[in-house]
Amino acid sequence: MAELLQFVITGTTVGMVYALIALGFVLVWKSTGVANLALGQLVLISSWFTFGMLVQAGLPFWLGFPLVVLFALALGWGIERLVLRPLIGQPILSLITVTLGVAYFLQGAVGFIWPKSVAALPSLFSQEPIHIGPAVVSQEYLWSALISLSLFGLLSLYFKYHKMGVVMRATADDQLAVQACGVPVTKIFSRSWMLACTLAAVGGILISSIGGITFGLCETGLKAFSVVILGGLDSFLGAIVAGPIIGLAENLGGGYLTPLTWPGVKEVIPFVIIIIVMFVKPYGLFGEVRVERI
Amino acid sequence: MNVDLPAGTRNYSYAQDMAVFRTRTHWALLAALLVALLAAPLYSSNYWLGVANLIGITIIAATGLNILTGYCGQLSIGHAGFIAVGAYTSAVLTNRLGVPFLAALVLAGVAAGLIGMVFGIPSLRVKGFYLAISTIAAQFIIVWVINHWTAVTGGFNGMSVPPASVGGLALVSQGRQFYLIMVTTAVAVLVAKNLARTRVGRAFVAIRDNDLAAEVMGINLFHYKLVAFFAGCFLAGIAGSLFAHWTGFVNAENFTFMDSILYVGMIIIGGLGTAVGPIFGVVFIRLLQQGITFVSPVLESAFALPAGFTTGIGPMVFGLVIILFLILEPRGLAHRWALFKASYRLWPFSY
Repeated sequence: MAELLQFVITGTTVGMVYALIALGFVLVWKSTGVANLALGQLVLISSWFTFGMLVQAGLPFWLGFPLVVLFALALGWGIERLVLRPLIGQPILSLITVTLGVAYFLQGAVGFIWPKSVAALPSLFSQEPIHIGPAVVSQEYLWSALISLSLFGLLSLYFKYHKMGVVMRATADDQLAVQACGVPVTKIFSRSWMLACTLAAVGGILISSIGGITFGLCETGLKAFSVVILGGLDSFLGAIVAGPIIGLAENLGGGYLTPLTWPGVKEVIPFVIIIIVMFVKPYGLFGEVRVERI
Repeated sequence: MNVDLPAGTRNYSYAQDMAVFRTRTHWALLAALLVALLAAPLYSSNYWLGVANLIGITIIAATGLNILTGYCGQLSIGHAGFIAVGAYTSAVLTNRLGVPFLAALVLAGVAAGLIGMVFGIPSLRVKGFYLAISTIAAQFIIVWVINHWTAVTGGFNGMSVPPASVGGLALVSQGRQFYLIMVTTAVAVLVAKNLARTRVGRAFVAIRDNDLAAEVMGINLFHYKLVAFFAGCFLAGIAGSLFAHWTGFVNAENFTFMDSILYVGMIIIGGLGTAVGPIFGVVFIRLLQQGITFVSPVLESAFALPAGFTTGIGPMVFGLVIILFLILEPRGLAHRWALFKASYRLWPFSY
């Protein structure tokens, strides 16, 4: 029982971080129509940048984190301005593969600047574990969930009330109409990418504060794809609901299926879920089913 | 004006129109190329034969991906996974079951093709990004199974593979393998070229350009998409088998997600949906890789660059090349080559 509770708590909390990263993907997909496959590398590079700021440069948290956010904003702006802007209007195949090029480039940049394969961030939260009923949970998980939840709250307020948020939703709905209303759509694109990179960076910091910085972070970013596929590509709600589901499936499966299969089954569960969703309900739980006409 | 053909070349029959090699110059160039290739082991060092072998193997794999992505428009980012299926099928068959090499080569292709078809089934209902994600999932699931099914694949330790042998002759040296790989590559490229000109290939192109319209015209989408997956992954399996016997050792480390991305990059750089595209792209990327391997240690010691330079510069350059090609020349090197030929034929009035 204690075991089950443990898996449920870690699963849900990690899942919320996945949802956070996935939200960045959905944002870019909805407002710009670009499928960002460089998500894993964005998570990776911003985690390493955090490492660079906090450990290598020895900056305090209050200075280091704003710098990481600035870095993520600059990265998002740069990717949109330099790579995606020239490709506006190109077929979807180009838009997907160009993000693969970005992924390759970022991975190389990480190898270039931080040539080691693993590192640990200084502990951001108290190491004292917390007892919830019979389960023992380290505080990092709970803090991660709390931060993710509050970011969800902030984002939904932003999209509901802030002018820029409303315009972003409108762009997602109908680019042409928004442009006709005098909104510079390219600016919205740029904002979406900046926001997405920031979300990836926050998600990266949270994940790597739990598990350290490894190349596995790329896979964490890819796990966010299983969240968007399960939730539906164009649904914010879907991402938030599917995140904890993926986290739960991963942890429960890892906990109970390992004796039945091979060790390490945890890593592959999100990808198996992708395949299952593709077969059963390809547009996800909340995704819009596309009706195409010739 | 038709500049696909040299001046003065006319078609008097359908067979002439369909011929790949038309003029005397074509045939002479082909003969020269064949002689140069056949004699290569005489004048090249073992190292460069190794590079040529790797290029040949990669051309087969990229040709497969080109059928799937370039002609049929089904983006696959799990190609390295399908190559791994071929490599391991061949390794297990020859090493553990003692199957002769040529049988294992074909079976490796079939196995990879079948696995590819399974992961291609979602392509009937989804496309674009969804399919890309499903092939990424395929990549990770395949590599995971290989790493953990220790009893058959040797797990993380990998497994050794006996050298290929054809008709009792063991192909142990790079030179002997060169002939095997070049012949297979030539056959693969020729088959792919001709597949693209048949009913099947035209159906692929119709599906790529607009799958709804293709279906309305009576093209069975499910059938042809699965055929594309089978054909593309079959060639991946063949390439995997050759790779396994070429290196003599297989390990899942050789078939990573980044490799899958690089294959997509290769066919984009070469030119999607053209027969020569994969050749251009593969040669370009592999030679770039060689150049980086030679130059980066020199640069590192000359300019006292940080230690990560050698490992990081390769992926950075590849990423940059993919991005730049997509922005500046999305039709790839094959298009540039066609432009060059056209301007050569129209000289001195090229435009």
